[in-house]
Amino acid sequence: MSLKIAADDLIENPTPRVPVSLCIDTSGSMMGDKIRELVEGVNLFYDAIDADDDAHDAAEISIIEFNSGTSLIQDYASIERLQRIDKIDPTGATFLGEGVNLALDTLEARKSVYSGSGVLYYQPWLVLMTDGQPNGDNRELERAVERVTELVNVKKLTVFPIGIGADADMSVLARFSPNRPPLRLRGLNFKEFFEWLSKSVSRVSRSTPGDTVKLDLEGLAGWAEL
Amino acid sequence: MFKEFHHQVRGRGHEAEGTRGQDRTAYARRAGIQVLCLADGAGSATHSEFGAQSVVHDGCELLIDRFHDFANGDDALQARRDIVDHLQAGLAETADKFQCEIGDLASTFLAVAVSGDRFVIAHVGDGVVGFVKHGELRVASGPDNAEFANATTFITSSDTVASLRLFRGSLEGVSGFILMSDGASDSLYDQRSGRLAPACEKLIAITATAPTRHSKNPEYKRRLKRIVNTQIRAATKDDCSIGIFGRLIS
Repeated sequence: MSLKIAADDLIENPTPRVPVSLCIDTSGSMMGDKIRELVEGVNLFYDAIDADDDAHDAAEISIIEFNSGTSLIQDYASIERLQRIDKIDPTGATFLGEGVNLALDTLEARKSVYSGSGVLYYQPWLVLMTDGQPNGDNRELERAVERVTELVNVKKLTVFPIGIGADADMSVLARFSPNRPPLRLRGLNFKEFFEWLSKSVSRVSRSTPGDTVKLDLEGLAGWAEL
Repeated sequence: MFKEFHHQVRGRGHEAEGTRGQDRTAYARRAGIQVLCLADGAGSATHSEFGAQSVVHDGCELLIDRFHDFANGDDALQARRDIVDHLQAGLAETADKFQCEIGDLASTFLAVAVSGDRFVIAHVGDGVVGFVKHGELRVASGPDNAEFANATTFITSSDTVASLRLFRGSLEGVSGFILMSDGASDSLYDQRSGRLAPACEKLIAITATAPTRHSKNPEYKRRLKRIVNTQIRAATKDDCSIGIFGRLIS
């Protein structure tokens, strides 16, 4: 019996994925520096994921925007398939509940794709960013809060509600996060936030069964106020 | 009668961090019973390599002492309780020794025991147990990953008795077994199809057919170690361990 094991005797399994959903407020109040810094931050996030050997194959990112409606700017894709964002034109109101529901629907669809194709995945992340108060359908908002908190409570979702500027309604954001207070961005430190996020995604993508992935909460101090 | 091979190697991730590998394997043979055990210590459990060592040692001991009960008895639930109780009792002693909590010793557990014409398999957590029967490579027990890639059940979990998978059967037509940790399964198990890699059959055949020498470290074992240390280890950052029984052709 030959002791040689050839390459095609072995399996090359797909890398387990870390689904990250960015659910962002693109209402009229985000006009100007806020949206420009946010777009720059997202592109830096892409670059940081691209440069990280562990996160590169693991991270799958989607972007949902909400204003007077909702839309899927980017469906879940790995870094090599992600389109860099040139600009976003803010307009209209703040249909936050509707945006979160679309983010969760998109996530459920992605999880079905993973399961159907035998791709393992880590606990998904939802980053929710807004600078104002929700003013969409209140039933949609309540449904979104209920869906998110249920998933968080059974450890099927990690959520990061982020308030942008002084007018962000932190009490509504707090309802989405039963285990951790929402964070208010210090100034427009999007870059620092997305650097932290990319490092955290990398940490998750390196974890193995039994690992409790400790988020570098001290690292939050640079860009957020608790 | 089966020939055995078992080996564990520290993964590239632990090597880069300068931390110890957490996989452990063991083999024991007594009273016509042969047992292979494998355990993968939990990443976040501070003393999991000692937990893994404890369960592979105690697992071998128990499966030799109680093989005939497990292979022929009627009460599967009691058998699962006895296995978990025995392994957890050993972990409690280890926890005392290292002044830590039992949860700090968390690990998976995979075992196969053979004697006469019967086999017994026990499995908690991820990793894979496979076998070859009538020339066909089959999975006896696949990974228990719940929903997420970094979640599984451990011997120290509260619901271990319910999640322990226990199998037994006839050795007729069985030419070998393979146990692997999740690190080794990255290249030896197709998670999409739920099938084992062709390499598994070769590894079992190598173990079964290698010349028997009066050496504890014969040529075939050194070569198999090299395969684990290079090809299988290169496919993952996790620790890798495997255990193989290859049946001697009479």
